[in-house]
Amino acid sequence: MTASAFESKSVTVGGAAIQYLVAGKGAPLLWLHGSEGNAGWLRLHDELARHFTVYVPTHPGFAGSDRPPWLESFVDLARFYLWIVQQLGITRATLAGHFIGGWLAAEMAVMSPQVVERLLLVDAAGVRPREGEITDIFLQGGEGTRRLSFFDAKQVVDYELLFGKKPTPEEREAQVINREAVTRYCWKPYMHDPSLPALLERLRALPTLIVWGREDRIVPLEAGELYRRAIAGARLEVIDHCGHFPQLEKPAEFMRAVGPFLGL
Amino acid sequence: MFIMRFTERPYVAYTEEDVRGSFRSAVRLTFSNSHFDPALGADLYNEYLDEYQFAEEAGFDGLMLNEHHNTPTCMGAAMNLEAAILARITQKAKIILLGNPLPIFDNPLRLAEELAEIDMISRGRLVSGFVRGTGIESWATNTNPVHNRERFEEAHDLVIKTWTQPGPFRWEGKHYQFRVVNPFVRPLQQPHPPVWIPGLGSPETLDWAARRHYPYIYLETDPQVTVQMTELYHKSAAETGYTPGPQNFGYLWRIHVQDTDEKASEVGKGFLIGNAGIGRVPMPGDFMAPAGYNSREGSKRILEQYKHSIRPDALYGGVDAAGWDAVVASNRVVVGSPKTVLRKIREGLEILRPGILGMWTNDGTIGHKDTMRCLQLMKEEVLPAVHEMGKELGLPGPFEQAP
Repeated sequence: MTASAFESKSVTVGGAAIQYLVAGKGAPLLWLHGSEGNAGWLRLHDELARHFTVYVPTHPGFAGSDRPPWLESFVDLARFYLWIVQQLGITRATLAGHFIGGWLAAEMAVMSPQVVERLLLVDAAGVRPREGEITDIFLQGGEGTRRLSFFDAKQVVDYELLFGKKPTPEEREAQVINREAVTRYCWKPYMHDPSLPALLERLRALPTLIVWGREDRIVPLEAGELYRRAIAGARLEVIDHCGHFPQLEKPAEFMRAVGPFLGL
Repeated sequence: MFIMRFTERPYVAYTEEDVRGSFRSAVRLTFSNSHFDPALGADLYNEYLDEYQFAEEAGFDGLMLNEHHNTPTCMGAAMNLEAAILARITQKAKIILLGNPLPIFDNPLRLAEELAEIDMISRGRLVSGFVRGTGIESWATNTNPVHNRERFEEAHDLVIKTWTQPGPFRWEGKHYQFRVVNPFVRPLQQPHPPVWIPGLGSPETLDWAARRHYPYIYLETDPQVTVQMTELYHKSAAETGYTPGPQNFGYLWRIHVQDTDEKASEVGKGFLIGNAGIGRVPMPGDFMAPAGYNSREGSKRILEQYKHSIRPDALYGGVDAAGWDAVVASNRVVVGSPKTVLRKIREGLEILRPGILGMWTNDGTIGHKDTMRCLQLMKEEVLPAVHEMGKELGLPGPFEQAP
């Protein structure tokens, strides 16, 4: 499996063209991106594609995918995503996601647990911490959020590739579109769904792994613990010296944490 | 010519260091209210009301107020309260609200009621302007900026219907739902108080205002850009078979007069820290215009319009980006003796041809005493002459010729 082997495709759902990248063989796994939008086919996706057919969709309203005009809230987004999954011909999939992608996976799971094989939540939004707070990334702005995202940016092998270069006008435009999408879905209540904690109890039979960077300064580890407590049988793997993006900042540790769970 | 008087009612008892110590060095939104002294605030509110009361006596046709939140640059956080007081303590001047930031109201019916009360207490002197608010207003009230324009338009439609259609009726909109719309008190002016729309020239708003024949008040926009924006308004109006005139346009202008040019120039520098705040530290762009606040197309057009402006930071900074001398030389701020000021006003009126002139007489560190002297000179030497100028240049206001 090499990075060049993925395909870029599109599926039309309820009149909206949804873009996705796909590669690999095996049972379906959806990787749901965070607030930064679809950053393309990453090393992580390559690793997963050795064992799964990996789908990396671009969320509706983010740069590359349409937003149906009625889609306004985060719950709308989850309901619509179940339709996307159906349209892709997937009856049951592993749902994995980071930050708002993890939140999205959790919302989809509590709505339709029967379509979820396993749930992998990485530094996920969605549950409001009791002691700490989810950092206001809108108030922090792009630079401030970037600064808070990593325990040590030098640990991120692909940092230059992902964040180092000056964005082209098209990339800048995409950033604006992505920020607008996050604002639409996550502004209020900010980055959480007050009903979600109660509904997570429904997932007691669902194999669930929660992975968190111990030093996550965007979504505090406490939120990971709340997820673990809410989902009976869920495990929480905490990666030390690691911020909000374990899959980028500590890729080896991340794969070691998820390997047994995913049967890699 | 309709002439109104304006000030942002600033609070300036803080330092540049205070601003730099604020989260993201912002003078608005996150600038801590621990810097506010309510005892001083009490004095200021009363002084500002005194000034407006005297402005009526000085001969201004209108008293203009505005509203902002979480900022020392404008103490009018609850503008309708100030308007209600002016409604009672003045007799003939119009009370011009530019304007109520519609998107941040979760209950526009309450707003319709407040405005109806002001209109009745003032015996029909209310001009009800509506705005989208800056991004700060969205932040301060936690209103999703991506819905700003939709909420502006829907709240407007609801308020106008509430004023003009007998209740009870039902409203099931996208952002507002009310099953029994029936506020018992209705405005005195029929069918409803005049609506004016102030702004910086967002093309969508210009188009929207033109289609409703609402006068558009340019908030001290670049003159050249203003002329282009007026063309946009004319174009949209023409599509509805309507021909606008000077009565459809207003221009807000910083104009400060003192006995001599030297004194006026010295005192007038206070304008520089008006809506930019002490230290004139630039505001973060995403505070003033968070993601989704402007349409992507609209943002591009606004930036294009402002490219050649004297103020490259037109949206986020102060009027001072070009430096005081350049600003004064360009007529963006008019300071001087009555004679100088009258000459400059004429130059501006000839280019912009507004039927409504907003005189932003003082701001920033321009104190009460200098402001009162300015208003006195306005009364004696400026306002009568500008009214004459309006006649001579054929610039009727909206109360001389209905828009």
